[in-house]
Amino acid sequence: MKKLLVFMLSIVMCTAALAGCAVPVSANNEEAEATAVGDASKKAILVVSFGTSYNDTRENTIGAIEKQIASQYPDYEVRRAFTSQIIIDKLSSRDGLQIDNLSQAMNRLVADGIGTLIVQPTHVMNGYEYEEMMAAVSPYKDKFADVKYGSPLLTSVEDYEEVIAALTADLGNIPEGEAIVFMGHGTEHYANATYSALDYMLKDLGYKNIFVGTVESYPSLDTVLKKVDEYGARKVTLLPLMIVAGDHATNDMAGDEEDSWKNAFKSKGYEVNCVLKGLGEYQAIRNIYSEHVGAAINGKAE
Amino acid sequence: MKKKSISLCLAAVLLFAVLLTACGRTAGPIPAQTAAQGDYAAVSAISFTDDDGRKINIEAPCERIISLYSAHTENLYALGAGDKLIGAHSTSTYPAEAAFLDIYDYNGDPEKVIAAEPDLVLIRPFITRRSPDFISALEKAGILVVSLYPESFDEFDDYINKLAMLTGTEQKARQELAAFYGNIETITAQTRSIKDKKSIFFESTEANLRTVTPDSMPAIAIELAGGINVAADAVPVEEGSSIASFGDERILSLAEKIDVYVSQRGAMNAGGDERSIVSRPGFSTIKAIAEGKVFLINEKIISSPTFRYYKGVKELARYMYQEVMDSLDAYMKNDKATRRDFANIVVRSMHLPIYIPYSSKYYQEEHKGHTYGMFKDVPWTDVDFDYIETAVLSGYIPWEKGSEGEYFKPDEPVTREELAQAIFIMGEFSGKNSNYEIADLSECNNTRIVQTLVDNGVFVLKDGCFEPDKEVTMQEIVDALLFVK
Repeated sequence: MKKLLVFMLSIVMCTAALAGCAVPVSANNEEAEATAVGDASKKAILVVSFGTSYNDTRENTIGAIEKQIASQYPDYEVRRAFTSQIIIDKLSSRDGLQIDNLSQAMNRLVADGIGTLIVQPTHVMNGYEYEEMMAAVSPYKDKFADVKYGSPLLTSVEDYEEVIAALTADLGNIPEGEAIVFMGHGTEHYANATYSALDYMLKDLGYKNIFVGTVESYPSLDTVLKKVDEYGARKVTLLPLMIVAGDHATNDMAGDEEDSWKNAFKSKGYEVNCVLKGLGEYQAIRNIYSEHVGAAINGKAE
Repeated sequence: MKKKSISLCLAAVLLFAVLLTACGRTAGPIPAQTAAQGDYAAVSAISFTDDDGRKINIEAPCERIISLYSAHTENLYALGAGDKLIGAHSTSTYPAEAAFLDIYDYNGDPEKVIAAEPDLVLIRPFITRRSPDFISALEKAGILVVSLYPESFDEFDDYINKLAMLTGTEQKARQELAAFYGNIETITAQTRSIKDKKSIFFESTEANLRTVTPDSMPAIAIELAGGINVAADAVPVEEGSSIASFGDERILSLAEKIDVYVSQRGAMNAGGDERSIVSRPGFSTIKAIAEGKVFLINEKIISSPTFRYYKGVKELARYMYQEVMDSLDAYMKNDKATRRDFANIVVRSMHLPIYIPYSSKYYQEEHKGHTYGMFKDVPWTDVDFDYIETAVLSGYIPWEKGSEGEYFKPDEPVTREELAQAIFIMGEFSGKNSNYEIADLSECNNTRIVQTLVDNGVFVLKDGCFEPDKEVTMQEIVDALLFVK
């Protein structure tokens, strides 16, 4: 009985001693982490895009947005990350082009001792892609002195106004009897309402012949067909409402298959013109992204 | 050497086919079913060595088959043994009905296969290497496993004959092989007399811009189609592989010689798509690219050991010799056109590559329009299957959805309005201000299309009427297509 008591006591003491030891160890860790925060004077902007495997358009869109941001904020180093691993892998095996995914990009920023970071997505709206980006970046927050996020293209009311101004300036005067249809991606995320809001504001601003639809959600192709018919157009111009005129624009919009938007409009008797121009190719759209970076720099940290 | 052996082989098979046909005539036509039963009776024992070295000895053809390789699945259907299949690998999507078989996977649990109680599991040596434990589990459970894969085109007949033995379809195999080589010979004969032979570069992988070896199925197809393979000296990336190194520098050094650029697309080793090929640095100097002769081909019809291989040969011939292969001579007639003729004329005059889905998930996805291979009245064995599917899936010819499924109605006539619809979609027509008055415009389904085409002079009015329901002749379709740029 006595022996057992001694044994138990020794275990308790040993545990206490260990716990005692553990306290300073943990304090050391925290100290080590605190010193691992990057140098605030080393500044970077990480431009995060879904990515595209089309080489011809990548530099005209994503690349052009990055260049614009770099020229406007010369104190910052501008870096690229893609979120589509399929595209990253394809570019690596096909073209030997190495592009960071988000965690690679974040780890490199940390390793390079960057202390001030602006994360600017090239997303069109605040949907799943944007949320996934935020979730991927946030675990690294403590490694930086300051992390701020720029907003996607269509976030504030002013953004909608500016996007409409950018697109309509490029379209010029649209003759009576012609309709312009922008094809967006569409999502199951509640941010899908962005497309209808954009369409609504277009009408509000007097552009009764410009319509917005989506490949995968609402407003659908059928909705847009109905609206264009109600407007009474004879000729329709289709454009992507996507940063890059990639696979969706080439196939879903302008493709020769039975279910492409081009064929759907043609089979209703419209003269159809397809413009494969991604949003990233509009100078005025690039300006909006650049302004979002500026707003993040001047705004509060997350 | 290779070429010689192919032509010898072709000649032998053709001769054999002629003899068979001759025999058939004296004996009178044998109904398919009787023939199959005859085959069963004739089989006493089935004995051969498979491509993994197994000695196969069985007494009767198999009745409950699981195929873990899409080419086996496809070939069994071609041999009339599709009804013996109780399951297949998920990549088995041709013919369409194969996509609806129960799915089995060699990366999955062998118990699932064992529980289905097949009397034969068909594999290929690749599967044995990839999943040896899976295969030995099946064999331990007493299931007959047969591994087959023809390493070269020369071994195709032997491979088919083994499938035929296993399923008791030897006679059907003889017929199908004869028809297969007959089809290839028809293509070869069409291009044989062409003096100005075209040169092809065949891209097999976009990574490192690889091509194929001279003894591979695509390279043989180029020869059979009457083309010249500019990469005939390419060496394999590793011994036994049909993929060969090449690279952009060598391609560009041949820029002026490449008349036609073909990229193989599919699940394995995909070549580039048209847009990525055209936009590669320096590629605009390639003759084929400057002349818009860039084509994609589905690996299923050019690299896979199936009866559909002749379609791959035909497509290559069409890409090279459009005028000959897509000749409309047979349609310059004043006979009433059927919708079948309509599809043929459209695909030929637009030189449309035949449509074949790329994704093995094609049948799991919902399709807004027609689903490939699902016409109740155009089975995959129909002589015009490819051209009908292609014309419909390009959105040029409408079809009908009935309560029982999808229908093309291949033997029904074509109306003027149906022709107008197709012409409008194929071409680029602007509205004119002439606005001819069309007395029966209200009878047309799509007044906008009819008005535009009449204004553009594509259709002439008769007594001020368009006559939307009037049936057209083949010649009228050919003539109207001249307005399509």
